[in-house]
Amino acid sequence: MGEGVAASLAAIDLPGAASGHSAFDRRAAERRARGYLRALGVSRESESQALLEQAMKRMELRAALGRLGEPLEAAVEEVHALLDQWLLSELGLNADPDALSAARAAVLGGDVPGWTARWAGLSGEPLAERIRAARVTAVPEPAPLQMEPSRIELCCYRLGLRLIAKIGRLLGLRGKRASSG
Amino acid sequence: MASLWLAPLPAQRFHRPLYFTLVVVTTLFTMSLLSAAIQDDGISTLEFLLLVLYAILMLWISASFWTAAIGFVRLMRRRQQVEIKAPGAETSPQPLDQSGFKTALVMPVYNEDPERVFAGLRAMYASLEETGQQAGFEVFILSDTRDPDTWIQEEMLWRRWAEDLGEPARLFYRNRDENRARKSGNVADFCRDWGGRYRYMIVLDADSIMSGETLVEMVRRMEADPQLALLQVPPIPVNRSSFFARMLQFAGSLYGRMFAAGLAFWQQDTANFWGHNAILRVRPFADHCGLPQLPGKEPFGGEILSHDFVEAALLARAGWKVQLAYDLGGSYEEIPPTLIDYAKRDRRWCQGNLQHARLVLAHGFKPLSRIHFAMGVMSYAASPLWLLFLVATGAEAYFKSLQSPVYFFGHNALPIWPESYVVEMTTVLWVTLIILFLPKILALLLLAADPQEARRFGGLRGASLSVLIESLLSVLLAPVLMLFQSKFVAAILLRTAVGWPTQQRGDHQTGILEAMGAHGIHTLIAVVTGYVAYVYVPDFFWWFTPVLVGLALSIPVSILTSRTSLGLHAKRAGLFLTPAETEEPPVLKQLDEQLGDALPQGVCGAGTQPPWTAAMVEPCIYALHDSLLHDKPSSRRGRHVLEGLIFQLQDDGADSLSIREKRALLAHREGLHLLHTRLWSGTDLPGPGG
Repeated sequence: MGEGVAASLAAIDLPGAASGHSAFDRRAAERRARGYLRALGVSRESESQALLEQAMKRMELRAALGRLGEPLEAAVEEVHALLDQWLLSELGLNADPDALSAARAAVLGGDVPGWTARWAGLSGEPLAERIRAARVTAVPEPAPLQMEPSRIELCCYRLGLRLIAKIGRLLGLRGKRASSG
Repeated sequence: MASLWLAPLPAQRFHRPLYFTLVVVTTLFTMSLLSAAIQDDGISTLEFLLLVLYAILMLWISASFWTAAIGFVRLMRRRQQVEIKAPGAETSPQPLDQSGFKTALVMPVYNEDPERVFAGLRAMYASLEETGQQAGFEVFILSDTRDPDTWIQEEMLWRRWAEDLGEPARLFYRNRDENRARKSGNVADFCRDWGGRYRYMIVLDADSIMSGETLVEMVRRMEADPQLALLQVPPIPVNRSSFFARMLQFAGSLYGRMFAAGLAFWQQDTANFWGHNAILRVRPFADHCGLPQLPGKEPFGGEILSHDFVEAALLARAGWKVQLAYDLGGSYEEIPPTLIDYAKRDRRWCQGNLQHARLVLAHGFKPLSRIHFAMGVMSYAASPLWLLFLVATGAEAYFKSLQSPVYFFGHNALPIWPESYVVEMTTVLWVTLIILFLPKILALLLLAADPQEARRFGGLRGASLSVLIESLLSVLLAPVLMLFQSKFVAAILLRTAVGWPTQQRGDHQTGILEAMGAHGIHTLIAVVTGYVAYVYVPDFFWWFTPVLVGLALSIPVSILTSRTSLGLHAKRAGLFLTPAETEEPPVLKQLDEQLGDALPQGVCGAGTQPPWTAAMVEPCIYALHDSLLHDKPSSRRGRHVLEGLIFQLQDDGADSLSIREKRALLAHREGLHLLHTRLWSGTDLPGPGG
């Protein structure tokens, strides 16, 4: 299981924390971003192109700031970030990670037709209501009840020890130990 | 129907005294028989041991016998008054007013087959929709699943069904971060988080099936009696095809209703909880059923494993009613398909039941709850006691065989013949056999009195033949189960803890190697014991043959009875037919249909890669899984651990990761996001399905 995962990971060199690339292979990054966009469901060339341009601009900015890291990874990250940014603005969310995640699942689940055009800025039709409607609630609002462990008093638990302790107390042994101690 | 069910039976307060008097008198009677047979010259230590063991075992089997006998009488009487059938079948009941409260159908799952879990739930929900009362019900899947593949599949199946159901949301899913206190902890966490939303919860098992009518009727009965906190509906075993399972299904269907009627007779308002297929009033459950840890270490201390008995006892202790709805149908469960699986399930249950030995004398419980605990212990302790009884009988026979009869005492000229106790011993044997087998005859008499019901069991002749074969096979299987259970009890007494293995629920067959591994020791014991008995106590050997044959044939019997072909052949021959087979209930048909409707392939479908991999690669599945996680603050150390796991995956492959580690990679948004982007930035572009 997951051999493909290991192979894909093995193919990349993870960047060090301080490493940065000021220049990068733009075509390779575009290819990767385009592939990722296709996986997200962006199939029209016009949409893909519009989103690619935005992603590349963000990459160039990162490169200029020396925070690019591994370029292919950065390309995927930027597409992902673009999607999140659009969802936040479309839904008017205030960086609520749970709501954002639910919205992402709704659009990527294929339940909101036309969302890719809207994301690419090629459609003027607002989709906030449809995205909200497509979100599936995993759990209802909390309605907590107290549930404390009940008390179960076992009979005869450590009876031998308790009896010895009682006899000891009767004989005054405990007092002696306590005083000697 | 509800009013009839609730009507007080005449002389109800005499039910328990009557039942327990019958049990005690029968035990004393059989003890007197045995005592007369063995006390020819005072009583030796061994004979005393035999008497004590026999008394305990007779108490156990006569309790079972009288439960069945009373159940028989009750069903015969009721048959004349009202036909027992699935709820709602006779007259259409008044619609249930569910305004102001909701009922949760909760299904705790732990690494179960997700397709079966969801198919079962969908079948139940479809059946509920047919009643038109589904608005008052919500389904909650309480997952404790640790296996990453199963976890992702559960999420995908939940999502698909939730989409199908639409708004308002009536289907919920959550996977616990930590599976504290196993199933009882899972349900308790549900109550802590969402208990206030529901008045009732119907607790299901992964293999439970209940019809919509029964679900509604359960709620109706709870509404009718505000003091009723728990109503257990006896589940009937269904859906397996192996010979072994079909035999048990037949026995469960035919004898089970009689036992349930008998149990309800003497348990009354202090019945028991069987862990599933029961409705609970949520608030009292939350108030009284939080389970403490028992002092001491495992296997007798720590978490309470068999929580159901304890929860029922705690509710009864707090003054709530706990009842068994023996007259309600539409409640089903699936059982282990083979003898070995059955034994494995016993291994899981054994520790929990033995743990109850500590609760029998705990303060505050009702006497009947103590009896439930004791019976739970005896359901496993009986096996080593039978074994001890057999060994003691063999030893007694050996010592007797060493004694030469003395015919002339003192100055007597005439010989004094030794007394023979063959008649007494034979009587003991016959009485024991009658107590063991009479319930089967009674069940057939019930069928004889009701031709319509007999037809549902394949006709009286087919049912009689099935009972005969089932009885013969149970004679063969009993010594094998006795040795299995004795081994489990010994292992637990030697402080070997039982794990929490997942059950193997689907039909599968026992191979020769598996059978030899499990039963080789039984065969060896049969050969050695048989030889020793034949050489040293030949008279005893012949008495002992039923036990020896069962053990000697355990390997072939285990293999053959696991065969589905044999089970289906028996079905075609009209053997072991049950009402669930001859008149398949709609909810079981629904289950079959749902099982055929597997997870679709597609953008967010299963694809060709394992679900664990898909959750990291496929954006759709990744996003779904991510949306079901909670944003948790992660420490620097936690981040390092996750990165370490990613490096391990990269360097050593997926197989180097344990299930726990794989789960950890999926359980944190941060780590999951890191993995997702890194996988997509690798040289080989991943893609859907690839």
